[in-house]
Amino acid sequence: MTNVISEIRKDYLYNLVLKGSRGDARKFDEYREISIERDVIRKAEGSARVKLGLSQVLVGVKMQPGEPFPDSPNRGVIITNAELVPLASPTFEPGPPNEVGIELARVVDRGVRESKAVDLEALCIVPGKQVWIIFIDVHILDDCGNILDASSLGAIAALLSTKVPASKFGLGEDYQLPIRDIPIATTAIEFSDVLMFDPDVDEESIANTKLTVISTADGNICGMQKSGKGTLKPEQVYRIVDIACERAKEIREKFLEV
Amino acid sequence: MIAMDESNISFFKDGCRLDGRKADQLRPLKIEVGVLARADGSCYIEMGGNKVIAAVYGPREVHPRHLQEVTRAIVRYRYNMASFSVEERKRPGPDRRSYELSKVSREALEPVILTSYFPRSVIDVFVEVLQADAGTRTAGINAASVALADAGIPMKSLISSCAAGKVADTIVLDPMKEEDNFGQADLPVAMTPNGDITLLQMDGGLSPAELHEAVEMAMNGCRQIYELQRKSLVDKYSQLESLSQVPEQEAEACD
Amino acid sequence: MDRKVVIPGDLLSEDAKRSGEGTFVKDGQVYSLLYGLANYRDKINVIPLAGKYVPAPGDNVIGVVKDITFSNWIVDINSPYDGLLHISEYPKRIESDEMSKYLRIGTSVMTRVKDVDPTMKVELTLNDRKLGMIKTGQVIEISHTRVPRLIGKGGSMISMLKKELNCNIFVGQNGRIWINGSADDMDLALKTVLLIEKEAHTNGLTDRIVEFLKKEKEARS
Repeated sequence: MTNVISEIRKDYLYNLVLKGSRGDARKFDEYREISIERDVIRKAEGSARVKLGLSQVLVGVKMQPGEPFPDSPNRGVIITNAELVPLASPTFEPGPPNEVGIELARVVDRGVRESKAVDLEALCIVPGKQVWIIFIDVHILDDCGNILDASSLGAIAALLSTKVPASKFGLGEDYQLPIRDIPIATTAIEFSDVLMFDPDVDEESIANTKLTVISTADGNICGMQKSGKGTLKPEQVYRIVDIACERAKEIREKFLEV
Repeated sequence: MIAMDESNISFFKDGCRLDGRKADQLRPLKIEVGVLARADGSCYIEMGGNKVIAAVYGPREVHPRHLQEVTRAIVRYRYNMASFSVEERKRPGPDRRSYELSKVSREALEPVILTSYFPRSVIDVFVEVLQADAGTRTAGINAASVALADAGIPMKSLISSCAAGKVADTIVLDPMKEEDNFGQADLPVAMTPNGDITLLQMDGGLSPAELHEAVEMAMNGCRQIYELQRKSLVDKYSQLESLSQVPEQEAEACD
Repeated sequence: MDRKVVIPGDLLSEDAKRSGEGTFVKDGQVYSLLYGLANYRDKINVIPLAGKYVPAPGDNVIGVVKDITFSNWIVDINSPYDGLLHISEYPKRIESDEMSKYLRIGTSVMTRVKDVDPTMKVELTLNDRKLGMIKTGQVIEISHTRVPRLIGKGGSMISMLKKELNCNIFVGQNGRIWINGSADDMDLALKTVLLIEKEAHTNGLTDRIVEFLKKEKEARS
């Protein structure tokens, strides 16, 4: 099932863009309103509900001891999963994650992993035998566009609220999961040579290309993902990166400074 | 289900349950209508420690087409638990339990839905358990019923659902996790406001007299829940109305 | 006018004869089928606050072509049921292989429901000069349950709007509204229609809209 978008609607959005405007009167590099609520799920070790405009995602973090991977015997494990449940959009269908869901989970995972936000070595319990496994589960509740940025924000917010459940497993007292960086993903679409950040559903449906840039607290890039069947020029990429880092800094300072 | 004799005493203290409730008392209940933008109807419910959200899509086209019925809408109900909703992380996706709960929950709602109004279509009900604390299916049915009304689906009435249980040889209303895990019986019920039962399940052990008491108690719980379901819908409308009054008041202030 | 918010199953009257739209009769009593506003006149009607559009013969609707078969355009009409626009319902004679030349996928059309059979097969027509393809202007979508308010009693609201807004407006019963005029006029028309949607269930709406338009126009001039 896909959204039918009429040409007349496309024309309308196109004309708006030519006038330098968007459907909801935002600037091209402006985000919708963000709100983050932490510790909303008592059964999870950490959780966050993020609202980005009308989009809503819920991220839960669960931790349990398990075996390390053979090639990294002294490091904890992060497993990120995303459920695009059919509750969240008329276009989502029940069933195992499709390529969109898997891509989303992997990009969220990339941000957490490549920023080294979590000190995996600190999660070793018995070298080669037992380490902490962190499950980051992203649950999309309402897809009104740009759920990737919302999910990524939810993941780091949930990790920031995570308590390691050591006592539950007889491993000492519970303690706050140490977080060393705050990666922020920002996404822009390209439409008629105009770059628009934080696209809503309509904008996503007319865009050919989307670029997500994940940046760290020190202003470096730790992950990117281009998606969509269109193309980008290098200048467009650099411009997106510049704005992405600015927006990320603002979001980080406003919502997530440790 | 195992009756744990030595723990019987700990279920009650001074005539109250672990969370301070009386035997025939519901857990705190909160219902919000229209919480999702994309769905045609939606409802968020908290029943004690349960946090459940329900969305309704439709009536809409049926995919795959061979499921279509020429004279009526089909109803689909998907009960799903978020991985982080339970103590031990649950593997994502459906399991045998969720299939069964989806089926009985759907059948709890179908008696009141006027499916003949929408031939060849489907009414999809999606229920996501975000936090589980015993009684998720009843919370899901309560939310789903309100979400159906919110979506403008024609129905003969709402459906309300609640369980009764037996712990330490006492019949209790709306068991929480501890009572459910170590109790002697669990009996979820769903019904119309007239008292027509649309869902009934039971596991554990009850005498006929206890069964009678448990059914009556659960139905009493349903009646209380119905009042709050009703209120949540009426309140949503009043909110709409007060919102739309704002421009008028502003206009007056300008004059 | 006596109005009250009701939910499915609410008792509305002891008199079965008063059963109107959105109600059902059981044991001689009238109950609501819907969540909405009960309107008490001779008959009691319940106007839903939400719900999907179900096509009825004679309805004007705005559709979007979503597929083309050998002799039909399949048209999304914002409903659980797609509309079928048969090639013979196009105002002029065309051949099957030229169908996409006239109405492509993604094209919006102002069309009318010609017939609906009991299995909800919906046939559309373009055979009326008022109907046809949409090439300019804007289409906005509101809940179809608000359309009666947009039209008003005997068309009072919509004629007032057309006059005051200086725009062409085509109201689809399916909640899609076409507006055509100068950019500024369209902007105001858009705002006005959305305001009517938002306040559809309040009393004294027409007066408020007239007032709103007066203020907006003063602000512009």
